[in-house]
Amino acid sequence: MKSKNVFVRALLGAALAAASTIGSAGGTPPPDAQAWAAIGKLPDFSGVWELVFARGGPPPEAPALTPEYAAKLKAYQNEQAKGGHQDNTTANCLPPGMPQIMNQPYPMEFLFTPGKITIVIEAYSQMRRIFTDGRKHPEDPDLTFNGHSIGHWEGDTLVVDTVGFVPETPLGQGGLQHSDKMRIEERFRITAPDRMEIRTTVYDPVALTKPWSTVKTLARHRDWEIAEYVCEQNNRNFVNDEGKAGIILNK
Amino acid sequence: MRKSVSKGLRGALGALLAGVCATVFAHHSFSMFDMKTTKTLSGTVKEFEWTNPHTWLWLMVPNDRGELEQWGIEGMSPNFLGRRGWSKHTLRPGDKVTVEIHPLRNGEHGGTFLNVTLPSGKKLMMFGAQIEDAKAEDGKPADSTKPY
Repeated sequence: MKSKNVFVRALLGAALAAASTIGSAGGTPPPDAQAWAAIGKLPDFSGVWELVFARGGPPPEAPALTPEYAAKLKAYQNEQAKGGHQDNTTANCLPPGMPQIMNQPYPMEFLFTPGKITIVIEAYSQMRRIFTDGRKHPEDPDLTFNGHSIGHWEGDTLVVDTVGFVPETPLGQGGLQHSDKMRIEERFRITAPDRMEIRTTVYDPVALTKPWSTVKTLARHRDWEIAEYVCEQNNRNFVNDEGKAGIILNK
Repeated sequence: MRKSVSKGLRGALGALLAGVCATVFAHHSFSMFDMKTTKTLSGTVKEFEWTNPHTWLWLMVPNDRGELEQWGIEGMSPNFLGRRGWSKHTLRPGDKVTVEIHPLRNGEHGGTFLNVTLPSGKKLMMFGAQIEDAKAEDGKPADSTKPY
């Protein structure tokens, strides 16, 4: 019995020593009434927000690729011309990850709690957690679809820095890829009643010759609710390991 | 009045579509559809699946020999459509409707949903615009090239 306890304790110790980024933040002190009250002084991000599909204006800036990543894109496109790479893995219900999870035709919601902003994203039932308690990124973050985000306020602008992405998330449509050095800065700001602007800059010294910036506008819909989105419910689209895409029509 | 409302909505549809290409990241590519061909199908609703990530309309359509063939038509999600005037009851089993689609390239009986004209004559666009009386219009959406 005793030896078993020792074994369990050793196991627990090993688990703690090996704690990865999800457990190593050191914790945050419990919020007091002041911390909750401080949230009321922040810009009002409440409600549900969706991209505005605006017409006109110049086309969005294309990313400036390094020779290595331009060659990767070319190879992808050559493969497409031969009938491969017919779709992204989103067709199989994998979420696109950052940055494209923020470019969906579905709304999102911002939840402010002490030390953290949570973005509830309807598409693929995704969630982003942005730590605003002053912590830094982990030295060696576990790689995830949406990355590790820390944020702070510069006046009325929420500035979010995100790192630590799995390699397979697309940078953009059509085979645009990023490296493991990608870092994304987003600046969120209310620009007009019920309008939010997000300026997104992708930094990737391996894939890009200069930072890639895009701007989008979101509209607030106070009468909407975030709805359920279970992509696997009735997904008839697919892309297989050979890159062939299709639709399953049996019914 | 009705006509000007329709035009406004058509403009909104155009704006929506124009922006789609620039900013939205799609669930899947449309390479399997012939986006340059618009096919009109008139038939009877077998089922309207109000599901993610896409709604599916299963339509029974008579072929040249008068035999019924089943078509599967992929539409936007209930989340998207439910915020734009559609509901799970918009298309009911037994309804006789006319739809426009971009058909599958491989010849299978399927396609991507552009619009539907209901038994009442009301036309609903996949992007949320509505035309009260399709017969009073030329019956075509402003642009149907790029749904999500």
